[in-house]
Amino acid sequence: MKGLFKSKPKTPVDLVRQTRDLLIYADYNSDTRESKREEKMLELSKLIRELKSILYGNSESEPVSEACAKLTQEFFRENTLRLLIICLPKLNLEARKDATQVVANLQRQQVHSRLIACDYLEANIDLMDILISGYENMDMALHYGAMLRECIRHQSVARYVLESEHMKKFFDYIQIPNFDIAADAAATFKELMTRHKSTVAEFLSKNYDWFFAEYNSNLLESTNYITRRQAVKLLGDILLDRSNSAVMTRYVSSRDNLRILMNLLRESSKSIQIEAFHVFKLFAANQNKPPDIVGILVANRSKLLRLFADFKTDKEDEQFEADKAQVVKEIAALETQDHP
Amino acid sequence: MAHEEEEPRKVQFPLDSNCYQILDEIGRGVSAIVYKAICLPMNSTVVAIKAIDLDRSRADFDDVRREAKTMSLLSHPNILRAHCSFTVDRRLWVVMPFMSAGSLQSIVLSSFPDGHLHRDIKAGNILIDSNGSVKLTDFGVSASIYESYSAAGSSAVSSSASSLMLTDVAGTPYWMAPEVIHSHTGYSLKADIWSFGITALELAHGRPPLSHLPPSKSLIMKITKRFRFSDYDKNNNSKKKFSKYFKDMVGLCLDQDPSKRPSADKLLKHSFFKNCKGSDFLVKNVLQGLPTVEQRFKKTKLLRLASMNKSEEDEDDDELLGEKIKERRISGWNFNIDGFELDPVFPTGKVDDINIVKKVRFGGEMVIQEKGRDSDTSNASSQGQNQVGGEGVGHNGGDGGGEAEIDGGGVNPEVMMGSLLFLKHSLENQKQNVSYMIGLLHGEESVEASREEQLMQVIEKLRSELENEKKKKFELEMELENLKLQLSNASD
Repeated sequence: MKGLFKSKPKTPVDLVRQTRDLLIYADYNSDTRESKREEKMLELSKLIRELKSILYGNSESEPVSEACAKLTQEFFRENTLRLLIICLPKLNLEARKDATQVVANLQRQQVHSRLIACDYLEANIDLMDILISGYENMDMALHYGAMLRECIRHQSVARYVLESEHMKKFFDYIQIPNFDIAADAAATFKELMTRHKSTVAEFLSKNYDWFFAEYNSNLLESTNYITRRQAVKLLGDILLDRSNSAVMTRYVSSRDNLRILMNLLRESSKSIQIEAFHVFKLFAANQNKPPDIVGILVANRSKLLRLFADFKTDKEDEQFEADKAQVVKEIAALETQDHP
Repeated sequence: MAHEEEEPRKVQFPLDSNCYQILDEIGRGVSAIVYKAICLPMNSTVVAIKAIDLDRSRADFDDVRREAKTMSLLSHPNILRAHCSFTVDRRLWVVMPFMSAGSLQSIVLSSFPDGHLHRDIKAGNILIDSNGSVKLTDFGVSASIYESYSAAGSSAVSSSASSLMLTDVAGTPYWMAPEVIHSHTGYSLKADIWSFGITALELAHGRPPLSHLPPSKSLIMKITKRFRFSDYDKNNNSKKKFSKYFKDMVGLCLDQDPSKRPSADKLLKHSFFKNCKGSDFLVKNVLQGLPTVEQRFKKTKLLRLASMNKSEEDEDDDELLGEKIKERRISGWNFNIDGFELDPVFPTGKVDDINIVKKVRFGGEMVIQEKGRDSDTSNASSQGQNQVGGEGVGHNGGDGGGEAEIDGGGVNPEVMMGSLLFLKHSLENQKQNVSYMIGLLHGEESVEASREEQLMQVIEKLRSELENEKKKKFELEMELENLKLQLSNASD
């Protein structure tokens, strides 16, 4: 067997077929004789490594686009991706990493100027469920998470995830105690909330109420420093995006939201303060401030102005200074309707 | 190669800081401290904990995330793999195996006691265990593990080095390949080969080439462009003799053209490595008689402190008290307008707070910001600010909301240590200033003896003034709040 494999160079299509055969073997034969199984798994690892070197090239050669296209086509012609995802826990660590890189690369491969990975995933969208639930399995989380982030580069796939029940789980995943996993989940969450502008805007306007309720209470008011910091940064990114302007207007009209942001402004962490400012400025700059927002700003005017008086970024930042001046101007000019 | 069918995570280390007992500090960088610790529930296994200050990381934490991921997914006998990582307030704890011999940098430092070693050293990322096994660590974030950034020891570059510590965390460029410095896109694995060559020179000389220059990128950029190992070698081989193989090997690595540098595989076949001895050699010849990691760290820390006292004041303020950033906090917001009892905030007269808060802040500034009536006091306190760090003014006048944390309620030993060092330093400065002034006024030698007493008196006086002003201000604020409350009640 071994000698045969080594003797002649295998075509990309052969490699994919052999990989698929071995994946099917790995999937169905969990109790075959130990040594035989080990041999097959070793072979599988080697094949996956070969697939990787076709897609990425190696120290001697650059990837060849024709070979990549053939590989991609064969890969998605049948159910190889599903098999690979399902069998991933059975592979050893190195093979898992190689497989993750292969899957990531395949998402960007074009065949006849089409991203056929996208077509495949649309037809097999339940694979996303497997990848997302990976965050509940410590050993698989980083591999499945990396694959997931590559898959949601496709807008239709991202839309599926956004509209699924999984979205709610991200609020927990982000706060998993294992930092590496939590950070991976946060990166995926950020990607979901920022990559496809129109889809995100649509999602937020449809799901505004529950989403921001969760966002505020679970993330912005989390006891965990890193959760708060990431959340307030992401919130700024979301609200400042032009495509989300309707959502932004709604967000900055809420007294509860203002209260949360003002509490973040007085955190001891300078970084959180700065990020909070970038959201707070939207409340202040809003030209149609509801009376209760105006009321809060006026009631805290002197404290706010004092805070901003020596509020500086570590590095000089002209934009920040300009924003700050604007906010100070807005707040200083506020008149209370209720207390003339 | 995927030959080892090992479990990705053999043992799960606890993700709770209470399970670890910190024994000693063994390294310190710009935004990270490395401790030697034991993991209590696991038979007190000795571990190293790298505590990274996340407040200094960028908000997307991409770099930290990548490092954490790399550290938990890499499996190579020569790469250090983390046991686990979790956050402890603002710090990320990366728990990893304790490499008892510490970093190559620290070992080299022991062998070149007066060498000009730099903080962002590549050898700082190469760790050695007591059995001589070598592991690479630290994948591109914050300060390097086990690294004792001793740059302050070299006076020539200390000023530029310490400003760099605050701004350019990515590190000094001495090890960077020319193409890495020049372009932002096109470089490859071959850049590591360059760095390897530089590291070889660093180990041979005790410092990397060009490191007598300030680590400004642009400068190094100009020089590396024309840097030829052969030239460097000519100028440097006056005292030290290196083998032909060594010179040839390093010369190959330091080729301006990346494609001409050997790959790692090829390099391993080089005659220089053919004659390499195993880890036993390392244990016998290098590790024996070496002070422990803890001892070495303490020594460099002392050196650093000593050199710091000589250098400019504001510089090492920043360096020492990373935590002590000028910051302003608001005790609480008024959300109780128009009868909304969202978050009622008014002082509750917790006068005791004044004494509780110990975190050093530029408290004087709070006072300066007050209106005209405080202008007299602001002089006193801005003086005090330099002298005693305005200790204690950081308290926030109390608040009823229960949301504001009271700083320093629990004693943070790091902050304490930093504050104490800062205090000590400023006291010394003050002592010098005062004696200088006394010298000017009296021109007498005899005053020397009582300097310290006088100094203490001045400080005491300033302190009590400050204390009084704080009380005054606090009372005024309370009054103000009460008036406001009455006003809003009246208007409702």
